[in-house]
Amino acid sequence: MNEEMQQHLDDRYDELRAAGASHEEAMHATLAELDADDPAGPRDATEVRERSARRWSPAARSAFGVGDVAGDLRYAVRALRKSPLFTTAVVATLALAIGATAAIFSVVNAVVLRPLPYPDADRLVVVWGNLPSIHLQDIVVSGAEYVDFRDRNRVFDAIGAYDAAAFNLTGQGEAERLNGIVATGSLLPLLGAQAAIGRVLQDGDNQPGRARVAVLSHAVWQRRFGGDPGVVGRLVALDGQLTEIVGVLRPGTVSAFGENEPDVWMPIVIDAELLSDNNRGSRAYTVLARLKRGVTIAQAQEAMNHVADSLVRDYTSHYHGGFTTTVRNLKGDIISDTSRGLYLLLAAVSLVLAIACANIAGLLLVRAHARRRELAIRAALGARRSRIGRQLLTESLVVSAIGGGAGLALAFWAVKALVALAPSGIPRLHEVALDARVVAFTAALSMLTGIVFGVAPALQASRADLTDVLKEGSRTIAGGGHRVRRALVVSEVALSLVVLIAAGLLINSFARLQSVAPGFDPDRLLTFRLAPSTAKYSFAKSEQLYAEVFSRLASKPGVEAVAAIDGLPFSGYGGDRTFFLEGKLDAPPSEKPDEQVRFVSAGYFSAMRIALRRGREFTGRDTRRSPRVAVVNEALALKYWPREDPLGKRVTFDRQEPIWYEVVGVVGNIRHRTLDAAEKPELYVPYAQPLFEGWNARPMFVVVRTSFQPTSAAGAVRDVVASIDPDQPISSVRTMEDRIGESLGRRRFNTLLLSLFAALALTLAAIGVYGIVAFGVAERTHEIGIRLALGARPRHVLAMIVADGMALVFAGTALGLAGAAAATRVMESQVFGISATDAATFAVVSIALALVGCCACLVPARRAIALDPVTTLRTE
Amino acid sequence: MQHKSAMLDRELKKGSAELLILSLLEDEPRHGYDLSKLIETRSGGLLKFRVASLYPLLYRLEHRGWIQGRWVEKAGQRRRRYYKLTAAGAAVLASQRSTWRDFVEAINRITRVEHA
Repeated sequence: MNEEMQQHLDDRYDELRAAGASHEEAMHATLAELDADDPAGPRDATEVRERSARRWSPAARSAFGVGDVAGDLRYAVRALRKSPLFTTAVVATLALAIGATAAIFSVVNAVVLRPLPYPDADRLVVVWGNLPSIHLQDIVVSGAEYVDFRDRNRVFDAIGAYDAAAFNLTGQGEAERLNGIVATGSLLPLLGAQAAIGRVLQDGDNQPGRARVAVLSHAVWQRRFGGDPGVVGRLVALDGQLTEIVGVLRPGTVSAFGENEPDVWMPIVIDAELLSDNNRGSRAYTVLARLKRGVTIAQAQEAMNHVADSLVRDYTSHYHGGFTTTVRNLKGDIISDTSRGLYLLLAAVSLVLAIACANIAGLLLVRAHARRRELAIRAALGARRSRIGRQLLTESLVVSAIGGGAGLALAFWAVKALVALAPSGIPRLHEVALDARVVAFTAALSMLTGIVFGVAPALQASRADLTDVLKEGSRTIAGGGHRVRRALVVSEVALSLVVLIAAGLLINSFARLQSVAPGFDPDRLLTFRLAPSTAKYSFAKSEQLYAEVFSRLASKPGVEAVAAIDGLPFSGYGGDRTFFLEGKLDAPPSEKPDEQVRFVSAGYFSAMRIALRRGREFTGRDTRRSPRVAVVNEALALKYWPREDPLGKRVTFDRQEPIWYEVVGVVGNIRHRTLDAAEKPELYVPYAQPLFEGWNARPMFVVVRTSFQPTSAAGAVRDVVASIDPDQPISSVRTMEDRIGESLGRRRFNTLLLSLFAALALTLAAIGVYGIVAFGVAERTHEIGIRLALGARPRHVLAMIVADGMALVFAGTALGLAGAAAATRVMESQVFGISATDAATFAVVSIALALVGCCACLVPARRAIALDPVTTLRTE
Repeated sequence: MQHKSAMLDRELKKGSAELLILSLLEDEPRHGYDLSKLIETRSGGLLKFRVASLYPLLYRLEHRGWIQGRWVEKAGQRRRRYYKLTAAGAAVLASQRSTWRDFVEAINRITRVEHA
């Protein structure tokens, strides 16, 4: 009752003020009404009096009252609840678009934008070597080169080097192969890594003659040593050699080394052997450095150019082809491959967001149009234009806030899904999470959407003239807002075509890639890595080990073939080696053959089902005592003996004391690293015929061809190896199908996401087209009724309506094609087997879009002609 | 004028006020300020409700179930409580109206005779 009375008084006061009374007069006259002679009158008249005085004070009334905003909000919520379909459509559209955008932005933020988790990360650089004469760029450097970099530069505060390594941990329960890093003592301090217990590697650890030491990751410490703090100082067997554990790293300290933190860190021993002239060309180490404060990358590059020049001068015999370096920001280097794909996704999802916004703008416009009668009347009754505008703005802000909130919830879930789905090899993925920056981004985005698209219909509505609106009745002629809407739909179609074509290109590429034959048969092939430690296994003993493993596995039921290779396709392993052709021992260095050389066991080619083109494959009779033999692939044969018979040709790996390997077979080419990489020349040598005296045991990948589901052989494989040597771990147990699938992982991920976005874009565009056609039909119900009543054929009316909608679709398609032709150029590196402007893809996608557009037109059009003319005419 | 108005005000409290409110609500729901304005204008300024009397009266009528109030919000306006006549209210209105007609008829008959 008090609120009512207060309002009554407010109304009275306003009326008196409007009639020209002063504030004092109006207040006095109004409050006189409170002088009750009714015993049931308000007991708290004083309170009402005081509150009124406050409410009517000029200060309270001049400002943009808080009460007004609250009222607007309440009104907006009620108005939205009254039209649940509109609200649901807008909120769902916004939520999907904002959710997808926020999720992708989270990934981009974590992987690309956020600094690396190291102190002064922007000063960290990586230094690569280049050998220009043989077109090798961004290569790792040798120990000697690292030491020269360290000693000759004046631009780095600190410099360190590392290489990936793996160690067999034995004598601690089940033997395990641990991933590790060998690093200079300077590396961990350079990265700011800190020990949870004990210490990190330090400079003295590199000195020759020191006891072997190792630092464990936090995860391995927990998993293998139960988090025992007494582990520091303990001796463990790594690769069969006793090693002292000197510390455990804090969890997550060194996360830039791929998605899995290394398990073990061991020092690189910098001894005379490593620094010898012989080993200057043995490049294995990645060099990281921290720039001195104030030094730019360009300055560091300049300084390192001088260092490289000095190396070329001082070691002429090593660098006759020249030697240069590349200094690059560490973060940029880590994310370079990944960022392009992520930016593509970000671009696509931004387009989806733009489409969604256009859609919402369209919905808001229709709504404003439908309400223009109400709004015009209110305007005529004296509501200020700004007042009405504010109301509509509040309404659209409320919708976008709800949409943004829902989108954020969706993003939270989507980020988890993304991380779970993401392929291996995306750096920093474990850092991905919704963070404050993403929340701010999303909030800004949804508010902006609300403001931009709340303003448009508000402006339109407030411009409406009452007489026009009322005259229109329910039969309306499309006005300016309708033109805006048509433009919006055209842009929606255009933008969605761009996303669809991008997705189409990726899908087309992916299909082509999947149909690429790898050159061997990956079906029912189980693979694993066996790395006998050189401390325990001499070369001869390793031969026995492999032979034993092969024979025991081969005797298992369902095993069809067993063989081994050092660099298995799709394992990430493999490497090149220099060799010499018979008769060309004195070839100049730039013409020395340097190709992929692989060591394989007898029967490898038949086990892998690699095509044997000529000659024979290796057998058990190719041993150290028999004549040395080699097998080449077609690419190598073509490169070195283009017009000759490769069989019988001989190669050697040592120019001084040549041991000749005779080519006895030619096999088909295979894809080694990825399905989209070119096939490389390959030279195969039997494992049993080592290249030099004192050859070490080599880690090999064993391939097991089964007649059943290959993963079910994994247990048997472990048992067999353990029964031969319980201290011998195996690792990387995977089917070949998995390995190939993984090599496609990132592409599959990008393709899948882009396809999802494309589907979303298509749906939104179809809704947009449907919306405008349905709206047009509703507006023209009367006209359609008359046409039908006058005898127009329904299909002509249908054609008229569809043609009207399709005009927009075609306009959008034309624009979209032009846009896509320009935009997809940046996808050149993402496509495979087609160009980024592949005509077939463009055509198929455009036709598909036109068909969907046509369906979107047909639905409302069919409804229109199904109407009874009498009913439609009565809608007035 | 002043004494007349004061007299009628007292008269209203005796029961005719209820009749006025109910009749004004017969056609459409109205809010309190609207009611007070209508009473004032239609009576040519003769009848006037004060805030302190009107709302307690509305409250009583609603309490009896003759009228029903509902908060209504319209864009750009304060929310207001609109009252509408209930079925019970309509019955009361009919009976009061006929009582009033009889009463006025009776008075008229007497006063006409006297003045004639």
